[in-house]
Amino acid sequence: MKRLSIPLPQAVLVLALVLFYSLGVSAVAQTPSVKPPDLSGAWGPYGGGRGADPKLAAVPASPIVVKPEYVKAYDAIRAADAEANRRGEPLASASSACIPSGMPSMMAVAIYPIEVIQTPNQVTIVAEAFMQVRRIFLDRPQLPIDEVPPGYFGRSVGHWEGDTLVVDTIGIKTSVQYQRVPHSDQMRITERFRLAAPDVLHDQITIQDPVTLEKPITYTLSYRRLPKYEMVEFVCDNNREFANDKGAVQLKLGGR
Amino acid sequence: MIVNQRVRKYFMAVLAAGMLAAAAIAVAHHSFAMFDTTASVTLTGTVTEFQWTNPHAYIELDVPNSGGGGKQHWSIELGSPSILQQSGWKYKDLKFGDKVTATINPLRTHEPGGLLVQVTLPDGRVLGNGPGRGPAAPAPTPAK
Repeated sequence: MKRLSIPLPQAVLVLALVLFYSLGVSAVAQTPSVKPPDLSGAWGPYGGGRGADPKLAAVPASPIVVKPEYVKAYDAIRAADAEANRRGEPLASASSACIPSGMPSMMAVAIYPIEVIQTPNQVTIVAEAFMQVRRIFLDRPQLPIDEVPPGYFGRSVGHWEGDTLVVDTIGIKTSVQYQRVPHSDQMRITERFRLAAPDVLHDQITIQDPVTLEKPITYTLSYRRLPKYEMVEFVCDNNREFANDKGAVQLKLGGR
Repeated sequence: MIVNQRVRKYFMAVLAAGMLAAAAIAVAHHSFAMFDTTASVTLTGTVTEFQWTNPHAYIELDVPNSGGGGKQHWSIELGSPSILQQSGWKYKDLKFGDKVTATINPLRTHEPGGLLVQVTLPDGRVLGNGPGRGPAAPAPTPAK
């Protein structure tokens, strides 16, 4: 068999071209134009007080406007809550029963930290309160909304838009409510995570629901980095709050 | 010994405003409305159990009746271990037999229970009930 002979300079050129294109193409496919910031670690609420920058603070929710057919029930439950609190007999809730707050409430429970675990294909968020976990897939598309069984954390997919992680979440149980706002199985939550400062993380949350909401609800949570914080466990094995026969929360006294 | 006193109104107004602002976005384990946060009761007694548990920690306290003879048992709710750690608590800060003085917001039902405001430990340290509740910062540890 006769060996195919290629002059050396041409062989080097072909090899160089092959290498250039294979490396170049894979680099384009795998590396976003801007390297995503590293959001990994523990984060606590960025509060007010001394030394706080008002420009980095959380932004309260936009006005909550429910569709006309939901106004009566929404107003009634809020009035009932307020009246029960005035009487000192707060209404029992999922939370007082130690049921996880779910999305989007889990992103801000009192002053409990959250932890972000960031990998190229998935961002995992652990909320310390009630040990809630959500997984944001970066390597696959969202499913049609009717294919996601409703749960507490829903199904989240995300992608990087420059320095911002944009997350789409669907599939939240209608019983899992943000501030008593009614929602349907068509609710969709969009989040935009970005570093507002090197150690300040913002999560801009937008809740849309074509069935129950007249317009989207938007608010921004602000977190400060807690570099040395060690997340603690949260197992509700001593919940002394119970619902009495009037549906109010009462405290069990005298030890377990 | 039990001492009742009214907490100054302006202080509560400021605290309530702060809690409302926080509540606008965040949620908590339960409403604090079952406690009368406009009143405080000071209890001096003996710890029968310190429960470092979720969703809340509890101090179980035997309080001798004033005028001698008998005692009353009180259950005092604290924040969760996470919240308490953030204000300087450690899980062995209290144990069976410790003599402490605790200030609480009593239950509106007038049952012997309440929400901790602050407690003075046997070593003299004063601990609150998480950031923003009770002493602003943990008292320095006394020299050994």
